[in-house]
Amino acid sequence: MSLKNFLAIALGILSAIGGFVDIGDLVFNTQAGATFGFQLLWVVVIGVVGIIVYSEMCGRVAAISKRPVFDLVRERTGFGAGLATLIASEIVNLLTCAAEVGGVAITLQLLSGLPYRLLILLGVVALVVLSWTLPFEWIERVFGYLGLCLLVFAVAAIKLHPDWGKVAHGFVPGSHSGGSTMLYLYFVVGLLGAALTPYEVYFYSSGAVEDGWGLKELGLNKVTSIIGYALGGFLSFALMIVAAVLFLPRGIDPQFLGTPPLASADAVGELGLLLALVGILFAVGGAAIETCFAGAYNLAQFFGWRWGKRERPARASRFALSWIVIFALALLVVMTGYDPVKLTEYSVIFSVVALPLTYLPILLIANDRTYMGSHTNGRLANVLGVVYFALILLVAVAAIPLLVLTNGGQG
Amino acid sequence: MQAAAILAAALLCAGCGGELSASALSKQADSLRSLAAEGALLAEDSAAGKTTHTFRRVHSSDLDKAASKEATSLQTAKTKPALESERHRLASLAQRISDDLDRLGNASKGQQRSLANELRRAADQSNRIAESLK
Repeated sequence: MSLKNFLAIALGILSAIGGFVDIGDLVFNTQAGATFGFQLLWVVVIGVVGIIVYSEMCGRVAAISKRPVFDLVRERTGFGAGLATLIASEIVNLLTCAAEVGGVAITLQLLSGLPYRLLILLGVVALVVLSWTLPFEWIERVFGYLGLCLLVFAVAAIKLHPDWGKVAHGFVPGSHSGGSTMLYLYFVVGLLGAALTPYEVYFYSSGAVEDGWGLKELGLNKVTSIIGYALGGFLSFALMIVAAVLFLPRGIDPQFLGTPPLASADAVGELGLLLALVGILFAVGGAAIETCFAGAYNLAQFFGWRWGKRERPARASRFALSWIVIFALALLVVMTGYDPVKLTEYSVIFSVVALPLTYLPILLIANDRTYMGSHTNGRLANVLGVVYFALILLVAVAAIPLLVLTNGGQG
Repeated sequence: MQAAAILAAALLCAGCGGELSASALSKQADSLRSLAAEGALLAEDSAAGKTTHTFRRVHSSDLDKAASKEATSLQTAKTKPALESERHRLASLAQRISDDLDRLGNASKGQQRSLANELRRAADQSNRIAESLK
C-alpha cells in the first residue's frame, strides 16, 4: 500500500472514531454494558456490518458518479422526498452536533476545571477556527489519530480481566437477564441507531468527493470502510466490556460523560484517565465537525450551491455560512443548559426514525445503472443492503414507542 | 385556552408534588445507589493516585449536584403513609451522599479513603431500601 493510500485511510478512521465512536456510542455502549453486561455485544456487530455495507455503497457512488449522495438523492427521488430527507437529516444533525459540542465542553471541564459555559464558548470557537484554517486532510488526521487515544479502553478491558467465555457468549443473540424486555429492546434500537447515524454516510460520501476519488479508489473505499468502522466497532466492544465488568456489579448507571474515563483510570491509572479524556475530546470534537459539515454539505448539495472544504470560502460562501450557522445554533442549544447526555439519547433515537429516508435512496442509487454503469451493487451488497433496510424500517417504527415505554431508557 | 388550562392544572399539581408510589421510590433508591457507588469508586481511585485532582473535583461536583437534586425531591415529595418512613430514610441518605460527594472534591488522601467506605455503605443501604420496595 502506498503512503498516499495509507494516509487516505484517515478518512475512514475519522469517520470511525469521530462518527462511529461519538458521544452517542460512549453513552449507549457504557449504559448497555452497565445494565445488561456482555449480552448486547452482538448488536454492535450488526451495527458495524450495516454501516460498512452502506458506507461502501456511498463511497462507490461518490467515486463513480463524482457526486455525493445527497446531490443524487434529490435528483433520484424528486423535490418533495428530497426535501423531507433534508429536513429530517438537518434536525438530527443539529441535535447531534449540539450533543457533541456539549461533550467537548464537559471533557474540557474534566481536564481543566474551568466553568462549563465558558468552555462551551471556547470549544465552539476552537472548532470553528480549526475547521476554517485546517485543510480537509489535516482535520481528518488531527481528530482521527488523536481519537485513537480511545484505544486505552481496549487496554482497560483486558486489564479488568473479564470472563472471556461470557464475553464470547455476548456475541450470540439470545435470551437476556438483568432488565426488562422493553429496556433490552430500547438498547438494541439505541445501539443500532448510534452505529448507523445518518451523518456518517453523508460526511463519508462528501469526503470522498472532496478527496477526488475515482475508479482507482474503489479498492481503497472497501479497505477504508471495513478497517475504519471495524476499528470503531472494536472500541464499542471495549466500552461495553469495561462497563460490564466495573459498573454492573456496583450498580452504577452511567449518566455522566465523566463515567467512562473513570473505568480507564481504575484499570490503567492516571495516564489511562488522561488518554481516555484526550481520546473522548478528539472523538467528540471530530464528530461535532462531521455533523456540522454533513449539515452544510446536505444543504449545499440539495440547493445546488458551490460546496467543499477545498473551495475558498469566498467562492463557496453559502456553504461556509451554513456550517458556521450550524455551529452557532448548536452553541445556543447547549447554552440552554440541557444535559448533553440526555440530548444524545434523544438525538440517537430520533436519528433512528430518520434512517429509512437516508438509506433507501442510497440503496436505489447504488443499483441504478444510469449513475453507476457497470459498478452497481453485486449480489452480496444487494442482499445485505435489503436485509439491513428491512431492519432499519423495523427499528425506525419501534424507536419512539420504546423511548416512551421505557421512560427514555430509565426502565 | 383549554390547553392553557390543562397546562396550568398540570403545573399546579406538579407544584403540590404528586404522590410517590413504591416503584417510584424504588427507582430513586436505585439512582442514589448508582451515585453513591460511583462516588465510592472515584474516591477509591483518587486515594490510589489514579485520577487527577481536577477530574475528582469536577466529577464529584457533578455527582453531588445529582444527589442534591434527589435529596430535594425526596424531602418535598408526598407518599402514602405506609411509605413515609422509607421516604424519610431515603431523603436523609440522599443528603448524606450529597454531603460526602461535596467533601470529596477537596479531600486529603486519608479522607478520600474514609469517604470511599462511607459512600460504599450508603450504596449498600440504598440498594437494600430499593429491594425492600420492589
